[in-house]
Amino acid sequence: MSPRLLLLRLLRRWHARIGFAATLFFLILAVTGLVLNHGNRLGLDGRSVHAGWLAHWYGIKAEPPRHAFRSGHHILIAANGRWLLDGKTSGLTLPEPLGLIELADIFVVASEAALYVFREGGELIEKLDPAALPGVPVRAIGSSARRIVLRTASGIFTSADAMSWQPAAQRSVLWSAPAELSASERQSYGEALVPGVSLQQLLLDLHSGRFAGSYGPLFVDLLAVALAALSLSGAWFFLLPGFRRRRH
Amino acid sequence: MTAGGPHRHALFAVALCLCAAAARADVYQEPDAFIAEVFGSKPAPKLFWLTQDIQAQAGAILGHPPEQLRQRYWSDAHRSVWILEETGKEELITAGFVVAEGRIDHVRVLVYRESRGQEVRQSAFLKQFKDAKLKQGDRLDREIDGIAGATLSVGAMERMARLALFFDRMSRR
Repeated sequence: MSPRLLLLRLLRRWHARIGFAATLFFLILAVTGLVLNHGNRLGLDGRSVHAGWLAHWYGIKAEPPRHAFRSGHHILIAANGRWLLDGKTSGLTLPEPLGLIELADIFVVASEAALYVFREGGELIEKLDPAALPGVPVRAIGSSARRIVLRTASGIFTSADAMSWQPAAQRSVLWSAPAELSASERQSYGEALVPGVSLQQLLLDLHSGRFAGSYGPLFVDLLAVALAALSLSGAWFFLLPGFRRRRH
Repeated sequence: MTAGGPHRHALFAVALCLCAAAARADVYQEPDAFIAEVFGSKPAPKLFWLTQDIQAQAGAILGHPPEQLRQRYWSDAHRSVWILEETGKEELITAGFVVAEGRIDHVRVLVYRESRGQEVRQSAFLKQFKDAKLKQGDRLDREIDGIAGATLSVGAMERMARLALFFDRMSRR
C-alpha cells in the first residue's frame, strides 16, 4: 500500500473518531446555540431552573424556610425570594412576608412595602404598592371585625376593602404571627423553595463551557479546533477525487 | 463535581452581579407624583375589574395572562391615568400612561429596574406614543421604532400602551 493511501486511510479513521467522540458536545453546542438565538421568542428571560444540585453547583446558598404563616384555610412558607402559597410556588421573586390574614372571601399577605390581596382560590386580585398603603414600612398585619389592620411606621390603620384606610386602635386585633416548622417540614418545604438559576444564564454557561469551571472554556476551544479539523479533513475527502481525476 | 470549588466562586460572582443588577431600581418619578402632576392633586383611585373576557383580551395584548384581577386607575371626565407594570427582559418596568379621548396623551417611565435599556425613558422615544390609538386587533395605529439594545423594553412599553388604551376604552363602557 502506498504511503499516500496509508495517510488517507489514517485521516479517514481519525476524521471518524474525532467526529464520533465529539458528537455529544457538538450536539450540546448546536442545541444551546439554537435555543439562545431564539431566546427572546421562547421567553427564556423570565424562566429559571430550580434544582438543589444546580444551586449548589452555582454556589448559591439555599436558605431553608424557618416558619410558616397560617390562617384558617391558607398556609404560606417563604424562602430564597420565593413563596409556597397553598402548595403552589411563585414564579416571580417576592419579598419576605410579614403575615397572612383571611377575611370573608379574600386573604391578604403583607410584606414591608406591599400588600398582596388574593381571591379564596389563590388568584392575585391586586398588589398594593407603597403609594396605595397608609404607611411604610409595614410592621405587621392583622384582622379585626372582618377588616384588614396594618401596623406601620406611622401608626395603625384599618380598611375593609384595601382601598381607603382609617387610623385605628390596637384593641382586639388578631395579629398574624409566624409558626415554627418541624425539621421534616423545613426539609420538604426547603426542597420546594430552592433558589433558581436563570435558564438563559445556564444555557450560556453550557454553550461557552463555563458551566464546567475554569477548564470548560478551554475544552470548548479544543472542540472548536476539532470542528475546524473535521471541516478541513471533510473538505479534503470531498475534493480529493476531483483533484485525482484532473491529474490523470 | 469535585473540581467545582474555584469555578463555583466565579459563577457565584456572576450570580451576585446579576442579583445586584436585578435589585437596582431607578425611580424617575414616584407614581403618586405623576398622578398629581396630571390632575393637579391626587384624586381617589377607581377600580377596574378584569372580567374573564377582559382577562382574555388583556392576555392577547400582553402575550401572557394579566398578573392581577383588578387595576387601579385615576380619571376625570376627559382623561384617565394608568400606572402599569410589565417585564422587559427580566425585571418589571413601571410606566404611567395618560389617555385622553381614546388616544395616548403622554407616557412616562416611572421606575426602571433592568440593567440595560434605560433609553426607553428618553422623550425622543416616548413621543412616538403621542396621540397613538388602537386600531383593529387592539394594535397601535403606528409602528414604534425600536432602540438597539433595548428591544425587550421597547416591546414592554408598546404592550403597556396598548393595554392602557384598551383598559381606558373598557372602563368608559
